[in-house]
Amino acid sequence: MRSLSLKPIIRILGVIMSCVGLLMLIPTIYAIFFDMHLVPALSGTALTTVLLGAIIFKIIPGDTPNLNKRQSYLLVLFAWLTTALLGALPYMFADIGFDWSRAFFESMSGLTTTGATVIDDLTQIPNSILLWRSLTQWLGGMGIIVLTIAIFPLLGLGGVNLFSAESPGPTSIKLHPRIKETAKRLWFIYLGLTIVLTFLLFFEGMTFFNAVNHALTTIATGGFSTHNESMGFYDSPLIHYTIILFMFIAGMNYSLIFLSLKGSLKTVTKNAELKSYFRMIIVLAAIIVTVLLISSTFSVELSFRYALFHVASLMTTTGFIMTDYSIWHPFITFLFFCLLFCGASSGSTSGGIKIVRHLVFAKNTLLEYKRMLHPNAILRVRIDKELVKPSVINNVHVFLLTYLLIFFIGTTLMVIILPENSLTLLDAASLVATALGNVGPAIGGEYGPTNTFFEIPTLGKYVLGALMLIGRLEIFTVLIIFSPYFWKEN
Amino acid sequence: MKIVIAGAGSVGYHLAKLLCIENQDITLIDKDDKVLDGVQSALDVMTVCGNACSSELLKQSMVGEADLFIAVTTSEETNLLSAILAKQKGAKTTIARVSNTDFLSSTQKAYFNQIGIDKIFCPNKLAVNEVSRLLKRASLTDIFDFENEEISVVGFTIDNNSRLVNKTIADIGKMNSRIDYRGVALLRGHKTLIPRSNTKLLKADHLYLSLTSKNLDEFLPLLGKETKPIKNVMIIGDSLLAFDTAKALQNEYSVKLILNSEAIAKQYLEELDNTLIIVGDQSSKDLLEQEGLNNMDAFIALTPNSEVNILSSLLAEGSGVYKTIAKVDNDVYTHISQNIGIDTIINKKIIAANNIFRFVRKGTVEAIATLHGVDAEIIEFQISAANKKTHCAIRDLNLPKSSIVAGVVRDGKGVIPTGEFELTTNDKLIVFALPSSINKIEEIFK
Repeated sequence: MRSLSLKPIIRILGVIMSCVGLLMLIPTIYAIFFDMHLVPALSGTALTTVLLGAIIFKIIPGDTPNLNKRQSYLLVLFAWLTTALLGALPYMFADIGFDWSRAFFESMSGLTTTGATVIDDLTQIPNSILLWRSLTQWLGGMGIIVLTIAIFPLLGLGGVNLFSAESPGPTSIKLHPRIKETAKRLWFIYLGLTIVLTFLLFFEGMTFFNAVNHALTTIATGGFSTHNESMGFYDSPLIHYTIILFMFIAGMNYSLIFLSLKGSLKTVTKNAELKSYFRMIIVLAAIIVTVLLISSTFSVELSFRYALFHVASLMTTTGFIMTDYSIWHPFITFLFFCLLFCGASSGSTSGGIKIVRHLVFAKNTLLEYKRMLHPNAILRVRIDKELVKPSVINNVHVFLLTYLLIFFIGTTLMVIILPENSLTLLDAASLVATALGNVGPAIGGEYGPTNTFFEIPTLGKYVLGALMLIGRLEIFTVLIIFSPYFWKEN
Repeated sequence: MKIVIAGAGSVGYHLAKLLCIENQDITLIDKDDKVLDGVQSALDVMTVCGNACSSELLKQSMVGEADLFIAVTTSEETNLLSAILAKQKGAKTTIARVSNTDFLSSTQKAYFNQIGIDKIFCPNKLAVNEVSRLLKRASLTDIFDFENEEISVVGFTIDNNSRLVNKTIADIGKMNSRIDYRGVALLRGHKTLIPRSNTKLLKADHLYLSLTSKNLDEFLPLLGKETKPIKNVMIIGDSLLAFDTAKALQNEYSVKLILNSEAIAKQYLEELDNTLIIVGDQSSKDLLEQEGLNNMDAFIALTPNSEVNILSSLLAEGSGVYKTIAKVDNDVYTHISQNIGIDTIINKKIIAANNIFRFVRKGTVEAIATLHGVDAEIIEFQISAANKKTHCAIRDLNLPKSSIVAGVVRDGKGVIPTGEFELTTNDKLIVFALPSSINKIEEIFK
């Protein structure tokens, strides 16, 4: 491997900066009409970012680079860090009482589609800032690198490495022979779903502003809401069921959505991961409905809606809430805690571990028993009738164990950081699980579903922010930078 | 353009790589998972693992929507069968590689066309043709003929004896004013330049000129190399290519074929009735000298091993052999070999790719050639009413800077045009272009 040249990375970061700056123009334009007092701050931030990005791109010479593996990983990590820092700027300059740690947390939580917030009262926040919040989630949902690949021709063949470094799931599937076209199709589906949902919500009674915001954060499986009560603000079952449906779709593998749009439904319905995903939601919702009917006084329809909504919301790592579920039966609370480790399909915008990994793990574990009984048999894990490569199985195991390890380390750190009380351990564990899984709301204690993360000490906010990024980039892309091999020449 | 390539071997990979740079949509099929993993991380292509003859697999690779299906797996049968299947599934054009030269006869070809294979090519046969062309013009290292040799692009190295050292391109015209020529490319070290009339030629430069065929003979003396007719040829190699080459050359030249394996030698013996077959160590200097290396006019190294070919060619060159040709399949070696003084290199991959690229280029392209060690292509376009370039002066075509018009063929006659040259319908334009400008040029002649 040649020595690591940073020039092309910085150059592409310049482009990404300009992109983020351009995205900032959307809330700026909104502010021109509705929040006049924010225009100087927002437009200043947007234009500075665009210009700075353009200058960096201009002064560093070079043409279409073919990034090697190391450069690709570095670029992806730096792209996310840069975007998170830039995303924090509007909160800082809008004069809404944010300090750096809060602004950074809010921005990182948005970008990684976690959806945990440090804003205690959303009604105090200007609408243009709320729009920016939702936009950061939308940008982070499909991914910054995928967007860059789709729009700019400046990533040469190295785009393949970048794409797999950012995309969720153990293996990435191409929708088209060329990576640029794949990225374009992904963004097209993403944009299309967002527009459809916006209009559905609008016709179902949301104001247009709220419809846009909720569509942006639902399709990104983010979970930022414009209301303190999140989805509990609305009492229309129609809106709730629409959101449930679209959370489910956003948690599907985008290549399957692409295939169903092309009309090959057969392959889609046969997909093992999708089947497990669907079954899990149904089974879990059924269990919760039963528990709710026995232990609470909700009507049958409301129990059903509550159960389905929260299962879908947690499993797709969206993190919308309808009501404070932590006061329900402890069994449900614990089930929801477990769901923080689930995640939806690979190749979706959801975070977490992803069902396909659980599937590979479960099948391989079962086979291990068969192997013990038939020591000479040749047994291989199959998913969708196809053999899973040993390298993928290995990757899944390493992922799961590393995920757990990070969860334990993170929890240890948070237990130290959080102020001591009887529920510190539960708080720390659920905060780390929700951050690492990019879900959003935690369970129980001080930081339950109806509380915000405002009270968390500054250092805690940075730790959680880092965990969110590790979770969004699926561990390896971040940790590889810290591996000794990464910095050695050979 | 959607292209499906079956077989990720050296030719398949090379094609995929070249086409990838041009942003074509490529799907690569291969049996070997590991090979595809490597491809996946190096090239922006889709890969499908499995047998290219499987109907299910071809469907999965979306052959039905493909503009071009290229079968270049190691198995001839697979290539033929998969091309037929691909055509049935809706691929517009199908190309199959074969190793058996029998399939190339015109009756066989017509039969294969009927059942759905549009083009059959045999890399060995192409390489043999190239070798015999190079032997005919032994003072040149590359020759590309266009339109029945009306226009030729020739390549040669400027060596110590050359009369062109330290002269500019314009000076060539002063030395013999009857020659129409155009300098199309200059390979200096690892760089490819497009020479202008005031470009000075240095020692060890590799220059490509376009000439009309009638000027070719007058031009050769200017090179300073004596034009010596080739009589004695020594070929080393056990491969089928060596056999085919010996068979093609044996009646024209006096051919010595040196093989390592006696068993293979016996197989070849029957058909090589006019060739002296010698069994022995090909890399042994003693053996080669004993067999009269010093008296050879040409030495052709065709072993499967590029290193052996390069080294034995150098040895032959040192012994005073006039023309050496080495088969070098490794791209990295191509540059190095030219710099250390190997006279001529043939590369089966590149020859095969040149043959196939014609089908990739948009409609009006007639022929195509890639130079060894040069990232550039020579493309032949036909001027027709459709591309609205009739009565257009070459200067007004606004060709990109990294390209140059090498020649024009009008009514079967080659012309080296000036900027004022006005094009008419049915002219054939030969353009030399660096890869970055190929797409632009294609747009111009669309």
